[in-house]
Amino acid sequence: MLDLRYPIGWFFALIGLIVAGMGIFAPEAHATLTAANVNLYCGLFMVAFGAFFLLLAWRADRSRP
Amino acid sequence: MILAPVDYLILALYFALVLGIGWKLRRKIATSGDFLTAGHSVPVWITSLAFLAANLGAQELVGMSGNGAKYGIMTAHFYWVGAVPAMLFVGIFMMPFYYGSRARSVPEYLKMRFDEKTRALNACSFAVMTIFSSGISMFALGLLLQLLFGWSFTGSVLCSAAIVLAYTFLGGLTSAIYNEVLQFFLIVVGFSPLAIMAVARAGGWKGMASHVPAVMTHSWKYMGNPSENPMGIEAFGLIAGLGFVLSFGYWCTDFLVVQRAMAADSMSAAQRTPVLAAIPKMMMPFIVIVPGIAAIALMNMHIGYALPMRNGEPDYNQAITTLMAQFYPAGMLGVGLTGLMASFMSGMAGNVTAFNTVWTYDIYQSYIRPGAPDSHYLKVGRITTVVGVALSILAAYVAGRYNSLNDLLQLVFSFVNAPLFATFLLGMFWKRATGDGAFCGLIAGTAAAALTHGLTLAEGKGGWIANFHTFSSSMAQNFWISIFAWSVCFLSTVAISLVTRPRPESELTGLVYGLTKMPRNEGAPWYKRPVPLAIGVAALLVVLNFWFA
Repeated sequence: MLDLRYPIGWFFALIGLIVAGMGIFAPEAHATLTAANVNLYCGLFMVAFGAFFLLLAWRADRSRP
Repeated sequence: MILAPVDYLILALYFALVLGIGWKLRRKIATSGDFLTAGHSVPVWITSLAFLAANLGAQELVGMSGNGAKYGIMTAHFYWVGAVPAMLFVGIFMMPFYYGSRARSVPEYLKMRFDEKTRALNACSFAVMTIFSSGISMFALGLLLQLLFGWSFTGSVLCSAAIVLAYTFLGGLTSAIYNEVLQFFLIVVGFSPLAIMAVARAGGWKGMASHVPAVMTHSWKYMGNPSENPMGIEAFGLIAGLGFVLSFGYWCTDFLVVQRAMAADSMSAAQRTPVLAAIPKMMMPFIVIVPGIAAIALMNMHIGYALPMRNGEPDYNQAITTLMAQFYPAGMLGVGLTGLMASFMSGMAGNVTAFNTVWTYDIYQSYIRPGAPDSHYLKVGRITTVVGVALSILAAYVAGRYNSLNDLLQLVFSFVNAPLFATFLLGMFWKRATGDGAFCGLIAGTAAAALTHGLTLAEGKGGWIANFHTFSSSMAQNFWISIFAWSVCFLSTVAISLVTRPRPESELTGLVYGLTKMPRNEGAPWYKRPVPLAIGVAALLVVLNFWFA
């Protein structure tokens, strides 16, 4: 049976990298109502979120006989 | 709103992923049970998030944030009063009968507990309603995408329907449920930064509260009198109508959500499914309703943000999308849009899979062709997926073209749904209730709902027979219609059951309270036991209500 934590983890890590990459390479890009580097912070959060799921899935794999 | 290539890339990755999950799960499908009921094998964290996500359509997100902008934090009553208590109830008190009876659907439970005609009534009305609600939400999404990005209505409807069709066709209910979990996380990740930034920009909760009318930041303070709050409702109508009848009627009897809990891998997991789902449900107001309130505050601050106008008043339903456009740069905007698409797809897949099961088991297998080998029903289930999606698309066009028909249908559905919970309550907790009683009770309750609507007036609606009472809002009218419908159904079911012959107790084992061994989970840690979990959730709910009173 597919362990859903893997696809969730990989997906968020990947789009997190893309979005954080936008924040790094185009830091001046922001929408009208905020000056913050939204892409960078949200991207990093998504990478961490994805990594957390991958960690959970990996730990479950290891504890399985 | 203009999308950059990176936004399309994120959307495309999401589409690829949901299709990939469907493809991966296709090999698991060997029987009709695998396809339609997920073979009772899904882990509890997945069923609980799917339980929540199946109800979390795009219409719900857009509509509830619009209500947040229109009414304020009292919109949270739709979650804290109108959902969480019912979710705890269905988990603790009703799941033992649903899951324990091994029924494959809610109508099938009615057949086991009552009789064939009660099942037929419920199955047919549910099948029709599911197709229409799927169509109506599809229509809403097509319209939204057209408005936002100028995408073709037909193109976006067909494209999203095709993707939902592909992954439910491949992996059945399991695939729908797995994708719903992914979709839930996307919604949270795509929407919550918006809530945080919008509130921060408005000066935090205090700053935001100072820029909106006081009634918008209190959920209970103005509930004493319908004239004091913009919803035009009072606490009793709210608690009895929304909190009891409507909410229990939906969360405890609607197969769309109950199906997710029935897919769990054990009785304890089935019971914990709605209880655990109640925790994120309780928090949804913060990412859905609060941005709506923030939108009004930002508008009143005159810093360059305004809701677009429509027919002379602000178009509240555009609150969430306009905020997205003004806070998210290209990149994050793609994630937000993907979250919106995800919510639409999870809602639609929920409808399609529930329709599938009810059609295949409760209508086709029961009335059209009983006794065929299982592989035949698997095939029918797959064909039904295609037919269900096609019918929803058709319903989307009907809903779009004939607005008054659409309103009428929604009204009729509300009449049919209002009395349902009385039938289930009596069925599960009173062994004397009979099939004739249940059937007549449902008919009488529906008639009472229609009659109440015909005799009262609100915002120019109803009163097509005579007008005996004018409600301060159609929401209040709606709550009171359901209160009457429920009471009439309850009383007539009791009355007719008492004069008809009850079923022998031996036939009711496992179906009704007192004749069913209630599950005990001694020995399991507290967080794996439904009751302690539910008590914890209830305590948190009380705190939230006081906090935002």
